[in-house]
Amino acid sequence: MNDILNFILKDTYTLSSLKHRLRILKSVVSAHLFGGQPQGELSSSDSLWLSTLPPILYQQFNKNNVAEIFDDIESKINHFKTLTMYLPFEVQEDASKQIGDYVRKNFSSLLLLDIKFDPNLIAGCALSWNGIYRDYSLRSKIQEKKDDILESFKKFLR
Amino acid sequence: MLELLYSPIVLILSSVSVIFTILYIREYVLRKKLQSEGEKVLEDYKEKGLETLHQSIQNSQNILSEAQLEGVKVVADVKYETSKLEEEYKKKLIDLINQSQQTISTSQSQLIQFMYDLQKRSDEFEIASKQAGEQKINQVFGNLESRLSDFLIQTEQKTISSIELELKAARNLVESYKNQQLKLIDENIIAMMEQTLNIVLAKKLSLKDQLELIYEALEKAKVEKFVV
Repeated sequence: MNDILNFILKDTYTLSSLKHRLRILKSVVSAHLFGGQPQGELSSSDSLWLSTLPPILYQQFNKNNVAEIFDDIESKINHFKTLTMYLPFEVQEDASKQIGDYVRKNFSSLLLLDIKFDPNLIAGCALSWNGIYRDYSLRSKIQEKKDDILESFKKFLR
Repeated sequence: MLELLYSPIVLILSSVSVIFTILYIREYVLRKKLQSEGEKVLEDYKEKGLETLHQSIQNSQNILSEAQLEGVKVVADVKYETSKLEEEYKKKLIDLINQSQQTISTSQSQLIQFMYDLQKRSDEFEIASKQAGEQKINQVFGNLESRLSDFLIQTEQKTISSIELELKAARNLVESYKNQQLKLIDENIIAMMEQTLNIVLAKKLSLKDQLELIYEALEKAKVEKFVV
């Protein structure tokens, strides 16, 4: 079970992505074990990701343990540390992979990102960790230097 | 009219007239009384004389020889006595009348003198009252003038201080409004700058640059030990 989770986490960096991948994996495995079709259509990226999973991973599932394994994985996810990151642009998978790699390299290999969109940040990002929010964006820098900026602006006007 | 009735001079003159009338009536009654007493005495003497005469006549009738002589003598004596008494009475009555006249004239002159004095005092009192009234009025006007002057000075000072306070409040209000407006303008400038940067950088900033800024932010969070 830990192998399954570690394998999934290897190239999954965000909380939403992890939940999405678990859902499609559960859907595919259930369809395979109990017959029928997976719920919903799979995107090409989802199909690609499923194809990267080794056969040994699928072999760990059977009709008796599939529900238990996924329940256990979901309960573990709830205990993972999540770094909420506010970004001023819509993040594609490639960008989230680069950010995720950087975070895991510099902080922790088990860290998950919860990426949210905030267009007011202009550039950079804001972070929320353990319920504390801190703004590292360009907007925060402008606010910090507001007086200097206004002073320069007034000098220019004179 | 009522004021005239209650005037002290009129009241005093009325009182004096009443006293004078009472005195006159008293003198008149006294004179009448004395006159009636004299007449009574004269009547008594007459009765006595006649009685004596009657006795004399009876005695003379009883005493034949001496009676006539004695009777005439007694009658003569009685007549003499009567006339003497009448004379005395007249004299006393005249004296009494004279005395009464003197008393009345004295009272009259005293009354006139009293009235004269009264008039004089009344005039003096009137003059003194007038002077005191004038002094009082002058004093009241003096006080009024002084108080009015003080009141006007105080009012002026209060008005000036009130206007100064109003001006100060107005200046503060203007200053506060100015500061608020300037703050609002500053906030608008910053908001416009942020909006402009947002639009420009969204177009101009590449993904690489965005990621560089994110790595920089993460590095800073690490240095600050915000994310452990």
